[in-house]
Parts: sequence; C-alpha cells; structure tokens
Amino acid sequence: MNGIRKGLAVVACVGCSLAIAAPALAQQPKSSEDVKTALRLLVQVSNDFKRQITNKNFARVPHEYMEYTEAADALRMAVKDDPADLKSKVETRLKAAVAAYQKVSDMSAKETDPDKLLAEHAKAVTAMNAVFDLFPAALRPDPNLPPPGRGGRGRG
Amino acid sequence: MQPRVSRSARLSRRRLLLIPLAVPLAIAGCGRKKTAPRQVVDLLIESDGDFLAFKPDTLTCPSGATVRLTFHHGGKFLSARHNWVLVYPGQMEAVDKAVENNEGIIPKDDKRVIAVTPMCDKGVTVMTQFTAPAAGEYPFFCSTPGHGECMNGILRVTAL
Repeated sequence: MNGIRKGLAVVACVGCSLAIAAPALAQQPKSSEDVKTALRLLVQVSNDFKRQITNKNFARVPHEYMEYTEAADALRMAVKDDPADLKSKVETRLKAAVAAYQKVSDMSAKETDPDKLLAEHAKAVTAMNAVFDLFPAALRPDPNLPPPGRGGRGRG
Repeated sequence: MQPRVSRSARLSRRRLLLIPLAVPLAIAGCGRKKTAPRQVVDLLIESDGDFLAFKPDTLTCPSGATVRLTFHHGGKFLSARHNWVLVYPGQMEAVDKAVENNEGIIPKDDKRVIAVTPMCDKGVTVMTQFTAPAAGEYPFFCSTPGHGECMNGILRVTAL
C-alpha cells in the first residue's frame, strides 16, 4: 500500500514539475520588442480578417491575407538573430499559420456564408496561437485587450 | 391746406435726415483697423506604426482657425493604407460605411465631411487644410475599410 502511495506521489511531483516548467520552455528571443510588435501585428490582421468576414466584405479578405504574410515576415525578421533551433520552430509553425489564413482567403472567393468562413478562421487562429506558444507569455498579445484607438464608434 | 409735396421730394428729405447719422458712422468705419488675420494652427498626427491607432488620438484647435494638418503613415511592415477624415458629429459610421466598397476613398462632394487627406502608403506624409468649425467635438477616423472601428479620435474645437 505504501509502495502505491509513494508511486502516486512521485507521479504527482513529476506532473507538477512539468506543469511549472512548461512556460519556461518558451524561449526568450534576442529582439523581444520586435517579436512583441510582430505578434501584435499578427493578431491585429487576424482580427481584421474576422471583421471583414463578419461585415461580409469578402473582397477585402485577400488583402488581409497579404497583410498577414507581411506580419509573418515581420516576425521572421524579429527572430533572425536567434538560435537556429528557435528560428526553425518559428518557421514551421508560422508556415502552418500562414497556410491556414490562405485557406480562409481562398475560400472567401467563392463562399458567401460568413459562418463557414469564421469556422475556418477559428482554425487559423489555433494555428497562430501555436506560434505564440513558442514565446514567453510576456511577449504574447493579450487577447482580452480592447483594440487600439479610441474605439469611438458610439461617439461619432 | 398743406402744400403738396412730391414723393421724390419726401425721399430726398429723409435722405438728408440720415446724413448726420451716416457721416459719423462712415468716419468711424474708415478709422477702424482691418480685422485681425485668421489664426493659423499646425497640427501633426501619425499612425501608431503599423497598428490601427492614431497618435495622438485627440487634437485641439480654436474655432475659425485655419488648420494645416499633417498626417504621417508611420508603418514599416504592412501594406495597409491610411488617411485622416474629419466629419461632423454623428456621421463617422455612416461615412465609413458609405466608402466600404470603394477602398475607403471619400467623394469630394460629401457634405458630412469637413476635411480629408489623401490615402497614403507606409512612410508617406500628406497634408490637408481647412477652417475649424464651430466649437465642439468632431470625430476623425481612417476610412480604409475595417480601420475606422479602431483607428479614430476626436478634434476638440474650442470657442475663440
């Protein structure tokens, strides 16, 4: 009985240690501010994607995709002096994210159902979050933050 | 019986009676200095880098002033275009919506718009000039489709 308890305690300890260490696995990039800016740009453009789909302004979606690739390039530039290991991980996940947003863009040429496009957009957001997971939490954009500017629709 | 006076004679008399009043007024008017030249205010505003925000997002000027506004697109990475559009209170959303399918280009004859700069690409600086309207708070925004929701601000026009 004691043996089982000891075994469970060891498993629990290992589990706790892994849970605590997980965020620390994210690497601190050399150009933290540049990375922070690039990640914010990715979120901004992703939100623009969503806004254009919600407003049924489908003609603008390919333009948003172009901007997304530009924001992705900003991130590539931000990590260019980092170790090859991090750059490689970033590139792999970034490619997946860009491909996911391209799929949304391609779909928008024919699909006129916002719900279907938003469902595909949600998948793209998941792919983007996988990129964010490579960096420390302090550099990741806060999804709860209000959009920049005054948000003054009501005051206009 | 009163003597009959012609209509034109009566008018002439009235005009004569006005002379004592008109002469001092005319002299006073001639002596008055010319009105002061209109105040010129230079305002500078830019986009917050590539982010959808104006920096600053509040501007101030006095009513009646000639405003020379310079807008700088501070972006480095994204190809998004921006402009600066000043509208009358309560018109921002309608104007923004009206140009949604027109790349955000504001028609010249839109009466809801007070001033607008040309659309510009990253790193470019553009200008517009206008007369500040009556005292109040006037919204401004970027009319590129989808930007106005975040990229907007207020011009506070103060009374002289």
